Amino acid sequence: MKRHWLIASVAILIIFIILDLLVVSGHVHVTFPWSHVPGFFSLFGFLGCLAIIYGAKLLGRYWLQRGDDYYDRNDEHE
Amino acid sequence: MIITIEMMNMSNFPLAIIYVIGAVLLLVLPRRIRSAFCLIISVTAFVFLINLEAGASLNFSFLNYDLMVSRVDRLSLAFGYVFVIMGFLGGIYSYHVKDSLQQVAALLYVGSSLGVVFAGDLFTLLFFWEIMAVSSLFLIWARRTRDARKAGLRYLLVHAFGGSALMAGILLHLQQTGSLLFNHFDGGVASYLILFAFALNAAVPPLNGWLADSYPEGTVTGSVFLSAFTTKVAVYALIRGFAGLELLMWAGAIMAVYGVVFAFLANDGRRLLSYHIISQVGYMVCGVGIGSVVAINGAIAHAFAHILYKGLLFMGMGTVLYATGRNKMTELGGLFKKMWLTLIFFMVGAFSISGVPLFSGFVSKSMVIYAAETAHFGIVVLLLSLASIGTFLSIGLKLPYFTWFSTDRNLKPEPVPPGMYIGMGLTSAICIAIGVYPALLYNLLPFGVHYQPYTAPHLIESMQLLLFTGLAFWLVRKKLHTEATITLDTDWFYRRPSRLAFNVFSVSISELFEAVERFSLRLAGYLVKVGANPAGYAVEATRNISHILLRTEKPAPEPSTFSPDRYRIPLGFMVLVVLLVLVVILAWDFLF
Repeated sequence: MKRHWLIASVAILIIFIILDLLVVSGHVHVTFPWSHVPGFFSLFGFLGCLAIIYGAKLLGRYWLQRGDDYYDRNDEHE
Repeated sequence: MIITIEMMNMSNFPLAIIYVIGAVLLLVLPRRIRSAFCLIISVTAFVFLINLEAGASLNFSFLNYDLMVSRVDRLSLAFGYVFVIMGFLGGIYSYHVKDSLQQVAALLYVGSSLGVVFAGDLFTLLFFWEIMAVSSLFLIWARRTRDARKAGLRYLLVHAFGGSALMAGILLHLQQTGSLLFNHFDGGVASYLILFAFALNAAVPPLNGWLADSYPEGTVTGSVFLSAFTTKVAVYALIRGFAGLELLMWAGAIMAVYGVVFAFLANDGRRLLSYHIISQVGYMVCGVGIGSVVAINGAIAHAFAHILYKGLLFMGMGTVLYATGRNKMTELGGLFKKMWLTLIFFMVGAFSISGVPLFSGFVSKSMVIYAAETAHFGIVVLLLSLASIGTFLSIGLKLPYFTWFSTDRNLKPEPVPPGMYIGMGLTSAICIAIGVYPALLYNLLPFGVHYQPYTAPHLIESMQLLLFTGLAFWLVRKKLHTEATITLDTDWFYRRPSRLAFNVFSVSISELFEAVERFSLRLAGYLVKVGANPAGYAVEATRNISHILLRTEKPAPEPSTFSPDRYRIPLGFMVLVVLLVLVVILAWDFLF
């Protein structure tokens, strides 16, 4: 099962890299350092997603997340 | 008082009037036709709207000030269209609501938003700006829960503060320039105050705390309206007043990522969506900051598309809340079989906001990113792309996964009124129509559009981003278990110290009053006692002092057994004093 997913995603990545090389490279209107990296946005999507998940989780765990009743505790004054 | 009114006609008619009259009429109509009447008002407003002519204005002179209560141009028209349409769709979605408070508040809210957008001068703008804040407040308070009441009060305080900053800025601006017309600002203290007020309504961090605090507490239908207007009116105001301010470009790009990160931590479904308002408004603010023709077009297009798909998403989560009474991901799950129709509509909104090809976000969001590319701001492009990833992650994948799939909690949803489905269906249809045929949207934009979203490179880029975001989500989905927590945001700065402020301004003052009261009562009692026999106390005091000075043994404390009669001066002594005084006066008279 796991292997299935791996093969599928690698296959999609290869297709996109080929598409990038064939279609995109010649047609970019503005060039950035990453414009010539085939499959850059696949990588960016994958790593960016993980970065958001784990970045947010770290931020939440060590700083921002509190119990559901954080603002309501000791709230005797209405 | 001199008031002159120019000819008011169809080409410059202030649309806000329709909604204000409607809100008043609504209250005298029978309850059962009120919902239909709300729709009639929207339709009437639309008829007036399509008769407006770009370039027309309605001037109005009031107390020697030249006001322009209505200014029609392509910028205000673009926002006018989407506001009227959203008001209509919200009206259909809330057709079942029998609460006239909500209906009146919604009408005034839509009307005042249109009032701001068509305001040609700053005084009219401020007037409608404040009505907007107050009328939207009642969409929160109408939920009538303790949390809603408290969140609503905070919402009111924040917006009252923003409104004051706006008024201060406008008065300064008037003093400096002598003009009240609302055009591009040139800098200076006045414009920074106005910028502050606009940024507060656009929820630019760190002024964002109020949004995610209050929107999830609104009523099921109220939050649909809330999600659409306040922030987008602010985007309009920023375009009009501050287009091309580079600070806004960076603020917007950071804001887009900020909203995404906080959304990921949210547990309440509608709070997650609220954070994505911040994120999406970030794209618009960024476009305003870039300031080129394509960027401004992009900001407006994105505002247009965003109002519709965000309204749709709030309708979807609102329907879940209506049917189950729950909105937290930790309490939801397994609704797929029971609420599949809502899921379909929600996914149309989710695909739109994520920028999936053939949905509305794809043709609007990409304009802003394209503008950043053209202006050669690589970091902005990457930040906005990162925000796109986070958007698809939270709204396209995580929220539906934990609401409709994941753990089945055996919820038994209540039946949902047909109006809610019709509202969602119509909004979905518009989202898809814009995505499939972008000219619908592009033709409304103020500047001619030469942008083509459906190009092979753009499609390939977008598909890569989306598919590999999906892949990453699928790999770690088991570790994403949601937690029943809240996330601290900038509202902490006024929520947490509120206890301190309460103590300083309320508790301590009442304690001070009590202390003063106690002290004065005791002082009065003492004075009464002493006043009854001052001489006796004076003798007591001298005795005590002489004991202290001479260090002799102190006698038993006298006042406890004190008898005034013991020291009372004989009457003869007083007579003697009076006689002596008389003698002195006479002698004085005799001698001089």
